Amino acid sequence: MTEAVWWAVARSEEISKDKPVNVDIGDQPIVLWRDSDGIVRALEDRCPHRRAPLSLGCVLGSGMIQCGYHGWTFDGANGQLVDIPNLKSERKFPPVYRARAFGVTESGGFIRVCLDAKTPQPAPAEETLPLSGTENVALDHDQYINALFDDPALVIGIRGVRFSPYLMAELKEQDGRLVLERSCQWASPHWPAPFSSDFPITLKISTDPASGESDLLLRDDQFNPLLRATLAPVPGARGVTQVRWRAKLEAKRPGLMAKAMGLGDPLTVHSHVDGAALRVQKPSASIHAVELRKEIAARTERQETAA
Amino acid sequence: MLDIQDSIPTADHDDPISSDPRTFAAKVNSWVPHDIVLKDAWFPLAHSTSVGTKPVRRAIYSQPFFLWRESGQPVASEFHPAEGLSASKSEYSDAQGRYPVMEKYGFVWGWFGNPANAAPQHLPDIPYLPEEGGVPEHMIGTVRFDCCAPLSLENLIDLTHADFLHADVVGDEKMDKETVEVFHDSETITMVRTCVNKSVAPVMKWFGGVRSDVQQVRQVIRIYLRSHVAMAYGRFSPGDNVQLFHPCVPETRDRTRLDYVMNTTNVKKRNPFRYIMPTASYKVSRQDSSMTSPQSPRYMRPEARKDLHSPLDEAGQKYRVLMLALAERQARGDFEYRDDVSADCSELIGYDGT
Repeated sequence: MTEAVWWAVARSEEISKDKPVNVDIGDQPIVLWRDSDGIVRALEDRCPHRRAPLSLGCVLGSGMIQCGYHGWTFDGANGQLVDIPNLKSERKFPPVYRARAFGVTESGGFIRVCLDAKTPQPAPAEETLPLSGTENVALDHDQYINALFDDPALVIGIRGVRFSPYLMAELKEQDGRLVLERSCQWASPHWPAPFSSDFPITLKISTDPASGESDLLLRDDQFNPLLRATLAPVPGARGVTQVRWRAKLEAKRPGLMAKAMGLGDPLTVHSHVDGAALRVQKPSASIHAVELRKEIAARTERQETAA
Repeated sequence: MLDIQDSIPTADHDDPISSDPRTFAAKVNSWVPHDIVLKDAWFPLAHSTSVGTKPVRRAIYSQPFFLWRESGQPVASEFHPAEGLSASKSEYSDAQGRYPVMEKYGFVWGWFGNPANAAPQHLPDIPYLPEEGGVPEHMIGTVRFDCCAPLSLENLIDLTHADFLHADVVGDEKMDKETVEVFHDSETITMVRTCVNKSVAPVMKWFGGVRSDVQQVRQVIRIYLRSHVAMAYGRFSPGDNVQLFHPCVPETRDRTRLDYVMNTTNVKKRNPFRYIMPTASYKVSRQDSSMTSPQSPRYMRPEARKDLHSPLDEAGQKYRVLMLALAERQARGDFEYRDDVSADCSELIGYDGT
């Protein structure tokens, strides 16, 4: 499942020309850095010489990455070994002397890596949302997305917003994505949600069925957008989910509570999940997600077979 | 002592409820209520008083319904006016994105299904609600369940649960005799429960002025299957009759909206029961939700293990089979109403205007 997916493994501002960074896609360690042209490069975080992590090395002025153990130096574009400094020679290295290179693309403030170089790149984002952050959550990727579907409060908080258990639209497929819309209340004194006739705001969640990357749209009952965000959970080592996110608070927000969202961080992505609350959360949308993913996967397989 | 009587179906067609116990049991146990989506029905989307010039949003099986008034008349649209006519218009609305809409019994009803099949005679009969609405505001309200609508209705038609889950409101299981009768046709199911010398409902004892320890009770639950609405009509002696309209609108397959009317206009104005009983919905609904919420995910997929049943579950079992029969008919493209849901049911439920 992880092979043909473009995973948002980093935010743009996390990767520089100065220092390589280690990230994971499942059990696959990856090193990221920017070359001299500012282009992000991604190699397996494992020197093919003695298996040392390349992320412990450095980025040279040439934009190549150099292993910190014996100085083997690699071209990030294709993983080719370009230098073994101690050899003091100009010799060329055979093609087998290379680190494993991965597809990498940067768009909308996210850096995405795909383990299968043949997978088509995603369409470029139209906008880079200004607010951002990264959290590592000790919950596996599937369960993280299930929690987002069944009760967003388990994994995120939106300033001044209380998520209700009630849905305006259950999880359905729309244009290949999993989409639901949850009714929400402002976190001010109000009639309890189970007895409320109408809700002033909704949170629409649109999720990629493979990566779990989710676009969030908070809007009021007059369809005014209040907050937009992208949440990019990536399966990491040892069942940890790495979550990168970006968000934008809309400038024009009718109503006092909507305006008050600007007083502090409008979106919080929790660094840990309350196990007691998670354990008793009844699944509903997440059950639909399992079925929908199966349908989408079966359809994709049929289309590929036909092609 | 328990007596169960059965009834003869009113339709000319084959009765969906088989006389063969094995066939019946197989149907009962193939119940996956979450998968049932019935169409061509009127749903009570909102109390009339909730709909004004500003659009309010409702949903039937996630299908959006925006309601507002134009020149005082209700409008039901697939799109919010600020949203405009979207290219993804469904087959459930006309070219302008409008749904068939009616206003009756103090509700705005929207038609979910083929707009061409919408007809006033498919709107359920509710004899104890004034057709023009106007029941006092304190007798109406909204409660919600995070469970699928058929589970909520199966819960309602099984009144023995009330003796335990709602004992502190409607009384416990102590009584001398209980009789359950079930009537059905292809569009409705009606359960009549008669209790002799039943413990007095605490809500009547504390607020209704009932001084005796026991009362004679005749409770009727009548469900209009397609519209997912129910009447709960209770006659209590001594005590006042209870007239509850209990719709279970499936906003999604796993969430239910209940815009209720507890019509206590039959109760004397100086009797606190007139004002307290409508608020009981808030307590009772939370009690129900404590059970139906965890139940719901367990009915989302076919289950190899069969539910166990008692003779007291007859109404619930028949409700399951009738709903499945409608769903199967609709899956074959048959949306015809074989029985008249708008026919006066006063006699059947024992309503005599009080």
